[in-house]
Amino acid sequence: MGLLNLTKTGAAIFLSAQLVLATQAVTMAQAEMIGTNAAITKYATHADRSFLLNELQRDDVQAAMIEQGVDPAEAEQRLAALSDAEVATMVQQMQDGSAGADIVGTLFTVFIILLVTDFLCFTRIYNFTRCIR
Amino acid sequence: MRRAACLLVCVWLAGCAPPFDPVARGVADRPTWAMVPDVPLIQQAAFYCGPASLAMVMQWAGSNVTQDEIAALAFSPGAGGTYLADMIGSARRQGQLAVEIGTFDQLLSEVAAGHPVIVFQNLGLGVAPVWHYGVVTGYDFVQDAVYLNSGQRDQMVMPFAVFERTWRRGDHWGLVVLPPDRLPASAPQVDVLNAGAALERVGQYQAAAMLYQTGAARWPDNWLWPFGLANARYGMGDLHGARRALRQARAMDPTIPEVRANLLQVERELAGQVD
Repeated sequence: MGLLNLTKTGAAIFLSAQLVLATQAVTMAQAEMIGTNAAITKYATHADRSFLLNELQRDDVQAAMIEQGVDPAEAEQRLAALSDAEVATMVQQMQDGSAGADIVGTLFTVFIILLVTDFLCFTRIYNFTRCIR
Repeated sequence: MRRAACLLVCVWLAGCAPPFDPVARGVADRPTWAMVPDVPLIQQAAFYCGPASLAMVMQWAGSNVTQDEIAALAFSPGAGGTYLADMIGSARRQGQLAVEIGTFDQLLSEVAAGHPVIVFQNLGLGVAPVWHYGVVTGYDFVQDAVYLNSGQRDQMVMPFAVFERTWRRGDHWGLVVLPPDRLPASAPQVDVLNAGAALERVGQYQAAAMLYQTGAARWPDNWLWPFGLANARYGMGDLHGARRALRQARAMDPTIPEVRANLLQVERELAGQVD
Protein backbone atom coordinates (compact mmCIF):
# COMPACT_ATOMS: atom_id res chain seq x y z
CA MET A 1 0.00 0.00 0.00
CA GLY A 2 2.70 2.40 1.05
CA LEU A 3 4.66 1.43 -1.97
CA LEU A 4 1.61 2.08 -4.19
CA ASN A 5 1.17 5.55 -2.67
CA LEU A 6 4.80 6.27 -3.21
CA THR A 7 4.45 5.19 -6.81
CA LYS A 8 1.40 7.41 -7.22
CA THR A 9 3.25 10.39 -5.79
CA GLY A 10 6.17 9.65 -8.00
CA ALA A 11 3.92 9.39 -11.02
CA ALA A 12 2.22 12.66 -10.12
CA ILE A 13 5.54 14.46 -9.80
CA PHE A 14 6.75 12.90 -13.00
CA LEU A 15 3.59 13.88 -14.89
CA SER A 16 3.66 17.43 -13.53
CA ALA A 17 7.25 17.75 -14.61
CA GLN A 18 6.26 16.42 -18.02
CA LEU A 19 3.52 19.03 -18.25
CA VAL A 20 5.92 21.85 -17.42
CA LEU A 21 8.43 20.60 -19.93
CA ALA A 22 5.74 20.14 -22.53
CA THR A 23 4.90 23.83 -22.40
CA GLN A 24 8.52 24.65 -23.02
CA ALA A 25 9.10 22.24 -25.82
CA VAL A 26 6.37 20.51 -27.72
CA THR A 27 7.41 17.07 -26.56
CA MET A 28 10.69 16.18 -25.06
CA ALA A 29 10.14 12.58 -26.01
CA GLN A 30 10.37 13.12 -29.73
CA ALA A 31 13.80 12.60 -31.15
CA GLU A 32 13.39 14.18 -34.54
CA MET A 33 12.89 17.60 -36.04
CA ILE A 34 9.44 19.07 -36.50
CA GLY A 35 8.93 19.52 -40.23
CA THR A 36 8.46 22.85 -41.95
CA ASN A 37 5.16 21.67 -43.39
CA ALA A 38 3.63 21.00 -39.98
CA ALA A 39 4.65 24.44 -38.75
CA ILE A 40 3.25 26.15 -41.84
CA THR A 41 -0.06 24.33 -41.45
CA LYS A 42 -0.27 25.33 -37.81
CA TYR A 43 0.88 28.95 -38.07
CA ALA A 44 0.39 30.28 -41.57
CA THR A 45 -3.29 31.07 -41.08
CA HIS A 46 -2.24 33.43 -38.30
CA ALA A 47 -0.12 35.11 -40.91
CA ASP A 48 -3.24 35.50 -43.05
CA ARG A 49 -5.07 37.12 -40.16
CA SER A 50 -2.31 39.51 -39.24
CA PHE A 51 -1.95 40.37 -42.92
CA LEU A 52 -5.60 41.41 -43.05
CA LEU A 53 -5.33 43.26 -39.74
CA ASN A 54 -2.30 45.15 -40.97
CA GLU A 55 -4.15 46.09 -44.11
CA LEU A 56 -7.02 47.39 -42.00
CA GLN A 57 -4.56 49.62 -40.12
CA ARG A 58 -3.50 51.46 -43.24
CA ASP A 59 -4.49 55.14 -43.21
CA ASP A 60 -5.87 55.12 -46.72
CA VAL A 61 -7.97 52.04 -46.01
CA GLN A 62 -9.30 53.54 -42.77
CA ALA A 63 -10.14 56.78 -44.54
CA ALA A 64 -11.94 54.86 -47.25
CA MET A 65 -13.91 52.85 -44.72
CA ILE A 66 -14.99 55.99 -42.84
CA GLU A 67 -15.99 57.57 -46.11
CA GLN A 68 -18.24 54.57 -46.73
CA GLY A 69 -19.75 54.83 -43.28
CA VAL A 70 -17.90 51.81 -41.88
CA ASP A 71 -16.29 52.04 -38.47
CA PRO A 72 -12.74 50.61 -38.79
CA ALA A 73 -12.93 49.23 -35.25
CA GLU A 74 -16.07 47.33 -36.23
CA ALA A 75 -14.27 45.84 -39.23
CA GLU A 76 -11.52 44.59 -36.90
CA GLN A 77 -14.09 43.10 -34.55
CA ARG A 78 -15.68 41.23 -37.40
CA LEU A 79 -12.35 39.97 -38.59
CA ALA A 80 -11.57 38.78 -35.06
CA ALA A 81 -14.87 36.90 -35.01
CA LEU A 82 -13.84 34.67 -37.90
CA SER A 83 -12.12 31.34 -37.39
CA ASP A 84 -8.68 30.65 -38.82
CA ALA A 85 -10.24 28.46 -41.47
CA GLU A 86 -12.65 31.21 -42.47
CA VAL A 87 -9.85 33.74 -42.63
CA ALA A 88 -7.82 31.35 -44.77
CA THR A 89 -10.80 30.82 -47.07
CA MET A 90 -11.29 34.54 -47.36
CA VAL A 91 -7.69 35.24 -48.20
CA GLN A 92 -7.93 32.45 -50.73
CA GLN A 93 -11.06 34.00 -52.22
CA MET A 94 -9.35 37.37 -52.31
CA GLN A 95 -6.56 35.81 -54.27
CA ASP A 96 -8.95 33.99 -56.57
CA GLY A 97 -11.01 37.10 -57.04
CA SER A 98 -13.88 34.66 -57.35
CA ALA A 99 -15.88 35.52 -54.24
CA GLY A 100 -19.41 35.79 -55.53
CA ALA A 101 -22.66 37.30 -54.31
CA ASP A 102 -23.72 34.07 -52.60
CA ILE A 103 -20.90 34.46 -50.11
CA VAL A 104 -22.23 37.83 -49.04
CA GLY A 105 -25.61 36.19 -48.48
CA THR A 106 -24.35 33.30 -46.40
CA LEU A 107 -21.63 35.00 -44.39
CA PHE A 108 -22.46 38.62 -43.70
CA THR A 109 -19.24 39.29 -41.83
CA VAL A 110 -17.31 38.83 -45.01
CA PHE A 111 -19.07 41.85 -46.45
CA ILE A 112 -16.81 44.30 -44.69
CA ILE A 113 -13.72 42.40 -45.63
CA LEU A 114 -14.66 42.21 -49.26
CA LEU A 115 -15.42 45.90 -49.15
CA VAL A 116 -11.95 46.53 -47.84
CA THR A 117 -10.35 44.21 -50.31
CA ASP A 118 -12.22 45.97 -53.09
CA PHE A 119 -10.59 49.19 -51.99
CA LEU A 120 -7.26 47.44 -51.96
CA CYS A 121 -7.86 46.29 -55.51
CA PHE A 122 -7.70 42.61 -54.53
CA THR A 123 -11.32 42.07 -55.46
CA ARG A 124 -14.03 43.74 -57.44
CA ILE A 125 -17.23 42.60 -55.80
CA TYR A 126 -19.17 45.81 -55.33
CA ASN A 127 -19.98 48.29 -58.04
CA PHE A 128 -19.86 51.31 -55.77
CA THR A 129 -16.27 50.82 -54.64
CA ARG A 130 -13.31 52.56 -56.16
CA CYS A 131 -9.85 51.10 -56.17
CA ILE A 132 -7.48 53.11 -53.98
CA ARG A 133 -4.13 52.36 -55.48
CA MET B 1 -3.86 19.08 -88.76
CA ARG B 2 -4.32 19.56 -85.06
CA ARG B 3 -2.81 23.03 -85.26
CA ALA B 4 -4.99 23.96 -88.23
CA ALA B 5 -8.08 22.94 -86.28
CA CYS B 6 -6.91 25.03 -83.35
CA LEU B 7 -6.34 28.09 -85.49
CA LEU B 8 -9.81 27.77 -87.03
CA VAL B 9 -11.32 27.76 -83.57
CA CYS B 10 -9.28 30.80 -82.59
CA VAL B 11 -10.41 32.74 -85.61
CA TRP B 12 -14.02 31.90 -84.94
CA LEU B 13 -13.75 33.01 -81.34
CA ALA B 14 -12.02 36.24 -82.30
CA GLY B 15 -14.86 37.05 -84.66
CA CYS B 16 -17.43 37.28 -81.89
CA ALA B 17 -15.30 38.51 -78.99
CA PRO B 18 -15.67 42.01 -77.59
CA PRO B 19 -12.46 44.09 -77.42
CA PHE B 20 -10.37 43.78 -74.27
CA ASP B 21 -11.37 46.18 -71.51
CA PRO B 22 -8.79 46.36 -68.68
CA VAL B 23 -11.19 48.35 -66.46
CA ALA B 24 -13.96 45.78 -66.71
CA ARG B 25 -11.44 43.03 -66.06
CA GLY B 26 -10.27 44.76 -62.92
CA VAL B 27 -6.68 44.88 -64.13
CA ALA B 28 -6.54 48.58 -65.00
CA ASP B 29 -3.72 49.05 -62.49
CA ARG B 30 -1.35 46.86 -64.44
CA PRO B 31 1.08 48.35 -66.95
CA THR B 32 -0.52 48.53 -70.39
CA TRP B 33 2.39 46.61 -71.89
CA ALA B 34 4.88 44.08 -70.61
CA MET B 35 7.30 41.66 -72.21
CA VAL B 36 9.66 39.13 -70.67
CA PRO B 37 12.80 39.14 -72.79
CA ASP B 38 14.93 36.14 -73.76
CA VAL B 39 12.49 33.29 -73.21
CA PRO B 40 13.73 30.74 -75.75
CA LEU B 41 11.34 29.35 -78.35
CA ILE B 42 11.55 25.58 -78.19
CA GLN B 43 9.73 23.53 -80.76
CA GLN B 44 7.96 20.80 -78.85
CA ALA B 45 8.37 17.12 -79.66
CA ALA B 46 5.10 15.26 -80.19
CA PHE B 47 2.81 15.67 -77.14
CA TYR B 48 5.63 17.37 -75.22
CA CYS B 49 3.99 20.78 -74.77
CA GLY B 50 4.31 20.38 -70.99
CA PRO B 51 8.02 19.46 -70.86
CA ALA B 52 8.80 21.99 -73.62
CA SER B 53 7.09 24.77 -71.63
CA LEU B 54 9.06 23.89 -68.51
CA ALA B 55 12.29 23.72 -70.52
CA MET B 56 11.65 27.19 -71.97
CA VAL B 57 11.05 28.73 -68.56
CA MET B 58 13.99 27.00 -66.93
CA GLN B 59 16.37 27.79 -69.78
CA TRP B 60 15.24 31.41 -69.55
CA ALA B 61 16.35 31.28 -65.91
CA GLY B 62 19.79 30.00 -66.92
CA SER B 63 19.41 26.20 -66.74
CA ASN B 64 20.37 24.07 -69.73
CA VAL B 65 17.82 21.32 -69.09
CA THR B 66 16.13 19.88 -72.20
CA GLN B 67 12.50 18.95 -72.80
CA ASP B 68 13.49 15.28 -72.95
CA GLU B 69 15.12 15.45 -69.52
CA ILE B 70 12.00 17.07 -68.08
CA ALA B 71 9.74 14.61 -69.89
CA ALA B 72 11.50 11.79 -68.05
CA LEU B 73 10.31 13.37 -64.78
CA ALA B 74 6.91 14.61 -65.88
CA PHE B 75 5.46 12.96 -68.97
CA SER B 76 2.87 10.16 -68.75
CA PRO B 77 3.20 8.12 -71.96
CA GLY B 78 -0.04 6.23 -71.33
CA ALA B 79 -2.00 9.47 -71.08
CA GLY B 80 -0.17 11.04 -74.01
CA GLY B 81 0.38 14.16 -71.95
CA THR B 82 1.67 15.74 -68.79
CA TYR B 83 -0.49 16.05 -65.68
CA LEU B 84 -0.68 19.38 -63.84
CA ALA B 85 0.74 17.85 -60.68
CA ASP B 86 3.69 16.43 -62.61
CA MET B 87 4.40 19.86 -64.07
CA ILE B 88 4.75 21.20 -60.53
CA GLY B 89 6.59 18.16 -59.20
CA SER B 90 9.14 17.95 -61.99
CA ALA B 91 10.02 21.63 -61.63
CA ARG B 92 10.61 21.08 -57.92
CA ARG B 93 12.67 17.97 -58.52
CA GLN B 94 14.85 20.21 -60.69
CA GLY B 95 15.32 22.51 -57.69
CA GLN B 96 13.02 25.26 -58.93
CA LEU B 97 10.47 27.30 -57.04
CA ALA B 98 7.09 26.35 -58.53
CA VAL B 99 3.95 28.18 -57.43
CA GLU B 100 0.49 27.94 -58.97
CA ILE B 101 -1.52 31.01 -59.84
CA GLY B 102 -5.18 31.16 -60.79
CA THR B 103 -6.28 34.62 -61.82
CA PHE B 104 -5.87 36.99 -64.71
CA ASP B 105 -4.59 39.67 -62.39
CA GLN B 106 -1.89 37.36 -61.06
CA LEU B 107 -0.88 36.42 -64.59
CA LEU B 108 -0.46 40.04 -65.64
CA SER B 109 1.40 41.03 -62.50
CA GLU B 110 3.85 38.15 -62.94
CA VAL B 111 4.55 39.05 -66.56
CA ALA B 112 4.86 42.72 -65.60
CA ALA B 113 7.38 41.66 -62.94
CA GLY B 114 9.42 39.95 -65.66
CA HIS B 115 8.39 36.35 -64.99
CA PRO B 116 7.17 34.06 -67.78
CA VAL B 117 4.10 32.05 -66.75
CA ILE B 118 3.19 28.54 -67.92
CA VAL B 119 -0.53 28.35 -68.67
CA PHE B 120 -2.82 25.39 -69.22
CA GLN B 121 -5.24 25.97 -72.08
CA ASN B 122 -7.96 24.16 -73.90
CA LEU B 123 -7.40 25.34 -77.45
CA GLY B 124 -10.42 23.37 -78.61
CA LEU B 125 -13.95 23.39 -77.26
CA GLY B 126 -15.38 21.97 -74.07
CA VAL B 127 -16.79 18.98 -75.94
CA ALA B 128 -13.69 18.47 -78.09
CA PRO B 129 -10.79 19.58 -75.92
CA VAL B 130 -7.31 20.23 -77.25
CA TRP B 131 -5.27 20.52 -74.07
CA HIS B 132 -2.12 22.52 -74.31
CA TYR B 133 0.61 24.11 -72.21
CA GLY B 134 2.13 27.36 -73.35
CA VAL B 135 4.29 30.09 -71.85
CA VAL B 136 2.94 33.62 -71.60
CA THR B 137 5.85 35.97 -72.23
CA GLY B 138 4.08 39.27 -72.77
CA TYR B 139 0.89 41.21 -73.29
CA ASP B 140 -0.24 44.49 -74.76
CA PHE B 141 -3.60 46.10 -73.90
CA VAL B 142 -3.43 48.53 -76.79
CA GLN B 143 -2.61 45.89 -79.41
CA ASP B 144 -5.10 43.54 -77.69
CA ALA B 145 -2.46 40.83 -77.68
CA VAL B 146 -1.18 38.07 -75.42
CA TYR B 147 2.22 36.74 -76.51
CA LEU B 148 2.97 33.06 -76.01
CA ASN B 149 5.83 30.70 -76.61
CA SER B 150 3.56 27.84 -77.46
CA GLY B 151 5.76 24.97 -78.56
CA GLN B 152 6.07 26.22 -82.12
CA ARG B 153 8.92 27.80 -84.01
CA ASP B 154 7.25 31.21 -83.95
CA GLN B 155 5.78 33.27 -81.18
CA MET B 156 2.01 32.95 -80.90
CA VAL B 157 -0.11 36.08 -80.58
CA MET B 158 -3.67 35.80 -79.26
CA PRO B 159 -6.29 38.50 -78.70
CA PHE B 160 -7.10 38.79 -74.99
CA ALA B 161 -10.62 37.43 -75.40
CA VAL B 162 -9.39 34.31 -77.16
CA PHE B 163 -6.63 33.76 -74.67
CA GLU B 164 -9.03 34.28 -71.79
CA ARG B 165 -11.47 31.70 -73.13
CA THR B 166 -8.84 29.09 -73.84
CA TRP B 167 -7.33 29.68 -70.40
CA ARG B 168 -10.69 29.66 -68.63
CA ARG B 169 -11.38 26.23 -70.11
CA GLY B 170 -8.12 25.20 -68.48
CA ASP B 171 -9.52 26.48 -65.16
CA HIS B 172 -7.15 29.47 -65.15
CA TRP B 173 -4.29 27.19 -64.18
CA GLY B 174 -0.96 28.95 -64.29
CA LEU B 175 2.47 28.04 -62.97
CA VAL B 176 5.29 30.39 -62.06
CA VAL B 177 8.63 28.58 -62.15
CA LEU B 178 11.60 30.55 -60.88
CA PRO B 179 15.05 29.85 -59.51
CA PRO B 180 14.79 29.89 -55.70
CA ASP B 181 16.59 33.22 -55.37
CA ARG B 182 13.62 34.97 -56.98
CA LEU B 183 10.05 35.27 -55.72
CA PRO B 184 6.75 35.41 -57.59
CA ALA B 185 5.18 38.86 -57.60
CA SER B 186 1.62 37.76 -56.98
CA ALA B 187 1.76 34.62 -54.85
CA PRO B 188 0.83 34.85 -51.17
CA GLN B 189 3.51 34.15 -48.61
CA VAL B 190 2.01 30.85 -47.51
CA ASP B 191 2.16 29.46 -51.06
CA VAL B 192 5.85 30.27 -51.26
CA LEU B 193 6.44 28.70 -47.85
CA ASN B 194 4.65 25.55 -48.96
CA ALA B 195 6.73 25.45 -52.13
CA GLY B 196 9.82 25.55 -49.92
CA ALA B 197 8.55 22.68 -47.80
CA ALA B 198 7.88 20.74 -51.01
CA LEU B 199 11.50 21.28 -52.10
CA GLU B 200 12.58 19.77 -48.80
CA ARG B 201 10.33 16.76 -49.40
CA VAL B 202 12.04 15.97 -52.70
CA GLY B 203 15.46 16.36 -51.12
CA GLN B 204 16.29 19.68 -52.82
CA TYR B 205 17.66 21.10 -49.58
CA GLN B 206 20.04 23.54 -51.27
CA ALA B 207 17.20 25.06 -53.28
CA ALA B 208 14.90 25.07 -50.25
CA ALA B 209 17.51 26.85 -48.14
CA MET B 210 18.01 29.46 -50.86
CA LEU B 211 14.25 29.97 -51.11
CA TYR B 212 13.84 30.36 -47.34
CA GLN B 213 16.60 32.98 -47.30
CA THR B 214 14.98 34.82 -50.19
CA GLY B 215 11.62 34.69 -48.42
CA ALA B 216 13.15 35.90 -45.18
CA ALA B 217 14.46 38.98 -46.98
CA ARG B 218 11.02 39.75 -48.39
CA TRP B 219 8.98 38.93 -45.25
CA PRO B 220 11.46 39.66 -42.45
CA ASP B 221 8.85 39.43 -39.67
CA ASN B 222 7.93 35.79 -40.12
CA TRP B 223 9.92 33.23 -38.10
CA LEU B 224 8.73 30.41 -40.39
CA TRP B 225 11.43 31.40 -42.90
CA PRO B 226 14.41 30.82 -40.60
CA PHE B 227 12.55 27.79 -39.20
CA GLY B 228 12.35 26.30 -42.69
CA LEU B 229 15.94 27.31 -43.36
CA ALA B 230 17.00 25.37 -40.28
CA ASN B 231 15.18 22.27 -41.49
CA ALA B 232 16.74 22.56 -44.95
CA ARG B 233 20.21 22.91 -43.42
CA TYR B 234 19.50 20.03 -41.08
CA GLY B 235 18.54 18.00 -44.14
CA MET B 236 21.95 18.79 -45.62
CA GLY B 237 23.64 17.76 -42.38
CA ASP B 238 24.63 21.34 -41.52
CA LEU B 239 23.83 21.27 -37.81
CA HIS B 240 25.67 24.50 -36.99
CA GLY B 241 23.82 26.33 -39.75
CA ALA B 242 20.54 24.89 -38.52
CA ARG B 243 21.29 26.12 -35.01
CA ARG B 244 22.05 29.63 -36.26
CA ALA B 245 18.77 29.75 -38.18
CA LEU B 246 16.77 28.42 -35.22
CA ARG B 247 18.33 30.96 -32.86
CA GLN B 248 17.31 33.63 -35.31
CA ALA B 249 13.76 32.25 -35.40
CA ARG B 250 13.69 32.16 -31.60
CA ALA B 251 14.86 35.78 -31.42
CA MET B 252 11.98 36.76 -33.70
CA ASP B 253 9.40 34.98 -31.56
CA PRO B 254 10.54 33.32 -28.33
CA THR B 255 7.11 31.79 -27.66
CA ILE B 256 6.97 29.21 -30.43
CA PRO B 257 7.34 25.68 -29.01
CA GLU B 258 8.27 24.17 -32.39
CA VAL B 259 11.26 26.49 -32.68
CA ARG B 260 12.47 25.62 -29.21
CA ALA B 261 11.91 21.91 -29.70
CA ASN B 262 13.94 21.87 -32.90
CA LEU B 263 16.66 24.05 -31.39
CA LEU B 264 16.87 21.67 -28.47
CA GLN B 265 17.06 18.72 -30.82
CA VAL B 266 19.87 20.30 -32.85
CA GLU B 267 21.78 21.24 -29.72
CA ARG B 268 21.48 17.73 -28.36
CA GLU B 269 22.79 16.30 -31.59
CA LEU B 270 25.62 18.81 -31.61
CA ALA B 271 26.49 17.82 -28.06
CA GLY B 272 26.66 14.23 -29.24
CA GLN B 273 23.92 13.13 -26.91
CA VAL B 274 21.96 11.56 -29.71
CA ASP B 275 23.48 8.88 -31.85
